[in-house]
Amino acid sequence: MNDLQQQYRLEEVRKVFGRHQIALDGIDLNVQRGEKLALIGPSGAGKTTLFRLLNCTLRPTTGKLWLDDCDVESLHGKRLRAMRRQIGTIYQQHNLVQRLKVVHNVLAGQLGRWSTPRSLMSLAKPADLGLAHKALEQVGIADKIFERTDELSGGQQQRVAIARVLVQDPEVILADEPVSSVDPTLASTIVRLLIDISESTRKTLIVSLHSVDLALAYFPRVIGISHGSITFDLSPDKISEAMLEGLYAGNDREQPATEAVNEPASPIAYPSIS
Amino acid sequence: MNSRTALKTCETIPLRGGGRGGKFGAKNVLVLAATVALFVWSYRGAEIELTQLFSRDSVQQIVIYIKKLIPPDFSAPVLHGALKGTIETFAISFMGTLMAVGIALSVVFFASRNLIYSGLLYEMEPKQGWKRTARMLPYLAAKSLLNVLRTIPEMVWALIFVFMVGLGSFPGVLALGVHTGGVLGKLFGEVLEDVDTQPIESLQATGATRMQILFYGILPQVLPQFVAYTLYRWEVNIRVAAVLGLVGAGGLGQRIHIAISLFLENQLLTLIIAIYILVTIVDYLSAYLRRKVI
Amino acid sequence: MNQPVPSLIHRSPKTLFPYLFTALFLLAFIDSWRRAGIEPMVLFAAKGRGNVWKFLSGMFPPDLSWNFLSLMFRPTLETIQISFLGTLIAVIIGFPLGLLGTHTLMVRGILNEAELQGVPVRRSLRYAIYFLARGVLSLFRSIPEFVWAFMFVRAVGLGPFPGVLAIGVAYGGMLGKVYSEIFEGVNDRPLEALQSLGANKLQIFFYGWFPQALPNFVSYTLYRWECAVRASAILGLVGAGGLGQQIEISMRMFNFNEVLTLLMILFLMVAGVDYLSARVRAML
Repeated sequence: MNDLQQQYRLEEVRKVFGRHQIALDGIDLNVQRGEKLALIGPSGAGKTTLFRLLNCTLRPTTGKLWLDDCDVESLHGKRLRAMRRQIGTIYQQHNLVQRLKVVHNVLAGQLGRWSTPRSLMSLAKPADLGLAHKALEQVGIADKIFERTDELSGGQQQRVAIARVLVQDPEVILADEPVSSVDPTLASTIVRLLIDISESTRKTLIVSLHSVDLALAYFPRVIGISHGSITFDLSPDKISEAMLEGLYAGNDREQPATEAVNEPASPIAYPSIS
Repeated sequence: MNSRTALKTCETIPLRGGGRGGKFGAKNVLVLAATVALFVWSYRGAEIELTQLFSRDSVQQIVIYIKKLIPPDFSAPVLHGALKGTIETFAISFMGTLMAVGIALSVVFFASRNLIYSGLLYEMEPKQGWKRTARMLPYLAAKSLLNVLRTIPEMVWALIFVFMVGLGSFPGVLALGVHTGGVLGKLFGEVLEDVDTQPIESLQATGATRMQILFYGILPQVLPQFVAYTLYRWEVNIRVAAVLGLVGAGGLGQRIHIAISLFLENQLLTLIIAIYILVTIVDYLSAYLRRKVI
Repeated sequence: MNQPVPSLIHRSPKTLFPYLFTALFLLAFIDSWRRAGIEPMVLFAAKGRGNVWKFLSGMFPPDLSWNFLSLMFRPTLETIQISFLGTLIAVIIGFPLGLLGTHTLMVRGILNEAELQGVPVRRSLRYAIYFLARGVLSLFRSIPEFVWAFMFVRAVGLGPFPGVLAIGVAYGGMLGKVYSEIFEGVNDRPLEALQSLGANKLQIFFYGWFPQALPNFVSYTLYRWECAVRASAILGLVGAGGLGQQIEISMRMFNFNEVLTLLMILFLMVAGVDYLSARVRAML
């Protein structure tokens, strides 16, 4: 019974690009079904790579990733697609097709359910206009439904991306920096919207955020990531200022240090190494 | 390059979509209808029919011909001839392209608006009508010369030059040089016209003459692109040079002409292989040089 | 684009290249000069001068008699028809081969990462198809359309038919290569998004790939059509129908005024096609 509640289980997951570029360095993580959690950490910490592993775009280089108690290593073709359908992703750069109309981008959320001919027909004549309209209404831009996507502002495009996930109606929602391109008030609106969706349908929600305040204010579980590994995994009331400072400041301190390894020059400039 | 920039401007034109489907305005429907009509008419008007095109008969004929081509004739005299023709073709394309660069460079500076009569360099000049006209005349002359050179295809130029100077490689070089000169003139002109004006402005502010501005501000900016375009045209020319011989202008084409006329299909295949190798080598060489320059 | 001349950057580490290049260039120049039989004076010697004069004076005035023009109507139409059908066949050949020859689609790329890891057979099969497609495209476009036309004339007889085939095959190779470049230039972030929500390959293609590639795709095809009009106008020189045949006949008969007329027709035709394709491009 307890096992059925498990959405994600990661054991010692590493992802290495090319030969030496280590993006993730041994991640252990358990996520329960219906849980809401926020990832924070400096840029380049590996959050985006983690998301791409979680939504089955990339495979871990080493380590194990179980999704719904299913080892993703064993997934191919149809079953892989079926699994992907259960995971909705909102990307930092929206990842919308700029030249398509908003309605098609939103209805693309249905692609996992539609047959190929049906999805083709839909490009000529939107197949489920009502659904698209409802999703766009939920994010507050129903009037843009027939605009071309590249005519929308960044914030509006972000909401189109959220509407796409609404249409997809997945079990898990992953959101990679969903509010990095909108103003602060809208940012909290969007985060609250995501939380509402998650709570009303008991979807698992994983969000990475630049804004620590938003993460601490809205999420019961906050994970700090830097340099491809998890530094803390706690509820917000247990997270101290010092931990946050360590999370971000550690980044500043190490960046020049790694450079200094290549440069045999002055130990005076970086006394911390010696 | 040109089509790319044209594209950019196209993309910024907003397409208004009203209801569903929406982008079928009256104008678009008209153009679309014209295209369809053109297709239908092409299909019915010619003595060509797609069904005939892919009929068993014509496919069979092609298969028979391919069978005749195989195997290629690799006997020593044929190979020797192919090698000689290949080198000759290379020589024609090389000299033709160089000649084209010469023509283009000697005309293009008159054919770019911002160098000859308008824009930043002439901002402070008197605006009297006749002076402006006097500056415009060489521009128009150069432009139309380039257009004439460019409009007439290489093969027709080759026919003309064969008539003027007789058979051989030389008319081939002339034909390539003249036609490509027109093409490069146009391409170079476009590069010159969208050169970055800031360095020019600062040079002009120091009191440099136009000649100095040309050498210090403009040429350094455009040269890499000039070279890139030249190499690109060279790739085109190597293909053309290989067939100029069909109208009597030397190179591999001449040998191909003979092989086809005398039904020496196996030799023909050898020559085609030679073209393929030559073209591939030149493509790689040109790509390599382009990487070096840009 | 507007980089400063990068000679300094190149020269300091590798001093050999400029010298080697200059030497090779000079060698090629001298040898080519000899082999191409370049004799600039031929043009100005008495015979050459006479021929140039005969040609230039013979061109004027152009033959604009109704008799000649009405005869030329049909070949002109035929030229456009050849170019149109030829381009159509080129698209039919180039599109699928271009797709198979697209590296991001077939082999590399984020879209295949989760599929291909640890499946060496599938991976090498994809590589094989990819290289095969590339090879066929390169073969098609490396052989000039004139040679194709000449061979098709031999295979299927005189007339517009070999012209259509020649343009179809040669331009199919060029289109295929450029299509694959266009497809590789497509932004793959939206594709990743589509994949992550469970779309299959075809759906990704039609929802993400195709809309993004379409404007470049159409624009380049139209550009090739413009080229095809020029090419089909002269393919007739080897007996493949169209205006070229007339140009050759007039040239051989020394009727230079007819040549001028034909060149004018060619010019108008090309300008018309350029205009039409510019209009279609602006629609995108």
